[in-house]
Amino acid sequence: MNDVVHSSGTSAPVRAAGVSLKDLRKSYGSNEVLKGISLDVAPGEVVCLIGPSGSGKSTLLRCVNLLEQPNEGTIHVGGFEATDPDVDIDRMRRKVGMVFQQFNLFPHLNALQNCTIAQTKVLKRPQSQADNVARANLERVGLGHLADRFPDQLSGGQQQRVAIARALSMDPELMLFDEPTSALDPETVGDVLSVMRNLAKEGMTMLVVTHEMGFAREVADRVVFMDGGVVVEEGTAEQVVGAPTQSRTKEFLKRVLDPTHIEIAS
Amino acid sequence: MAMTARQRAQVSLYVQAGIFVVAVAALILATDWKTIGTSVFNFAKIGPMFPDIFVAGLKNTLIYTSLGFIVGLSGGLLLALMKLSSFPLYRWIATGYIEFFRGIPALLVFIAFGYGVPLAFGVQWNVTIVVMISLGMVAAAYIAETLRAGLQAVPKGQLEAARSLGMPQWRAMVSIVIPQAFRIVLPPLTNEVILLTKDSSLIYVLGLTASQYELTKFGRDGISSLGAGLTPLLVAGAFYLVITIPLSLLARKFESRSARTKR
Repeated sequence: MNDVVHSSGTSAPVRAAGVSLKDLRKSYGSNEVLKGISLDVAPGEVVCLIGPSGSGKSTLLRCVNLLEQPNEGTIHVGGFEATDPDVDIDRMRRKVGMVFQQFNLFPHLNALQNCTIAQTKVLKRPQSQADNVARANLERVGLGHLADRFPDQLSGGQQQRVAIARALSMDPELMLFDEPTSALDPETVGDVLSVMRNLAKEGMTMLVVTHEMGFAREVADRVVFMDGGVVVEEGTAEQVVGAPTQSRTKEFLKRVLDPTHIEIAS
Repeated sequence: MAMTARQRAQVSLYVQAGIFVVAVAALILATDWKTIGTSVFNFAKIGPMFPDIFVAGLKNTLIYTSLGFIVGLSGGLLLALMKLSSFPLYRWIATGYIEFFRGIPALLVFIAFGYGVPLAFGVQWNVTIVVMISLGMVAAAYIAETLRAGLQAVPKGQLEAARSLGMPQWRAMVSIVIPQAFRIVLPPLTNEVILLTKDSSLIYVLGLTASQYELTKFGRDGISSLGAGLTPLLVAGAFYLVITIPLSLLARKFESRSARTKR
């Protein structure tokens, strides 16, 4: 897989990795959540996964860094085959940043330490270098002044931005976002989205599960609509969000874009 | 005259307080203070207990308890991790151990390691080793259950976030999960230390030399050597409170602190 180097404004250039999923299947007992999904993300590309809850989009995202183990299919991330039983999963995960819906910041560490612990323990960077990288990334998400705060002293939006800085501090080549704004108060959503928008501009490969259609339209190179464990429709944001062809996509977008729309059972 | 519910509750409280005062007064009046003063708690006999109660009794109680706690904490952590392991054999061993050592009296464990094991294997252990092992192995069983609950109380997302940053399982446990679990279990863990402090008295079943006496044995010995009724034992009891009450206060402080950080 080819890696593309993009230059970016202030921070180090982003080395971007691609993702390739083939015939991915995942079941919980008799419940098949992913029914054979194939998806390619080119280095530097931003792909938004949309779809109703329970459509399998979060499971798909979690399969990419093996937080969920797929039953069948192959996953390639950068130079790694994640589904190879002999893969060094920890080495692969260093290249894959993950941002969770619930932030999952480490509550016993302050914002700076949240961003340094994996640098020192996993990448074996000296503390001073780790601190510098962490501070630069906290600046990057606009929170340089809150480095000493603990997670419970930060708002949801600030916590999520620290979580993004934590992932970026590992110099990932791919970022996974699992509904990063779904647990946020409406007034803090914008800050998180603007951080993500900048990241996309810098050339980071991003796979984003989201309900933010505005963000998808503006930032995504490609939008993938999933329902019932399959990819129903994919294309550019203009195609999928602007002019969907499948009825399930149309139905979903109608509900998401028009909250006052009420389904009346016939 | 009719009373409101509030007034009735008020009167009821006064009555309860009155009964309590009368009971205490009756107890004081009925007590044979003269006999108690000579053969149960004789102030004049307290003096000779010092300073030995510090250099032997209190010191040894603290040493035995600390050693037992160190063994109990490390063993308990190991057992807790085994109990949460995905490998069934580890879970069975941990469960068996915990059920066994929680289910038998600690006294029997002291006898087993004081007499049984040395006899069976032809080894010679000094008292400190026996206390460390016996107290530690009993403590490990209780602490394991406390720690297991603490480890399970750490949200699953914490482990996922740590693993996502490329931390191997053991590193994620050591740097992320276990520190948070300890914070959660500090109050119950402090209570374990209190129980341990009192259980250290069980080594009286072993033959001890005077320099090995801990508080209870020191007190029992004082009864015969000083001829002071129960005085030495009561003084020893007071010293336990000197250890345990600050620990209780500490546990309560931990509790209020974790209640504050948890929103």
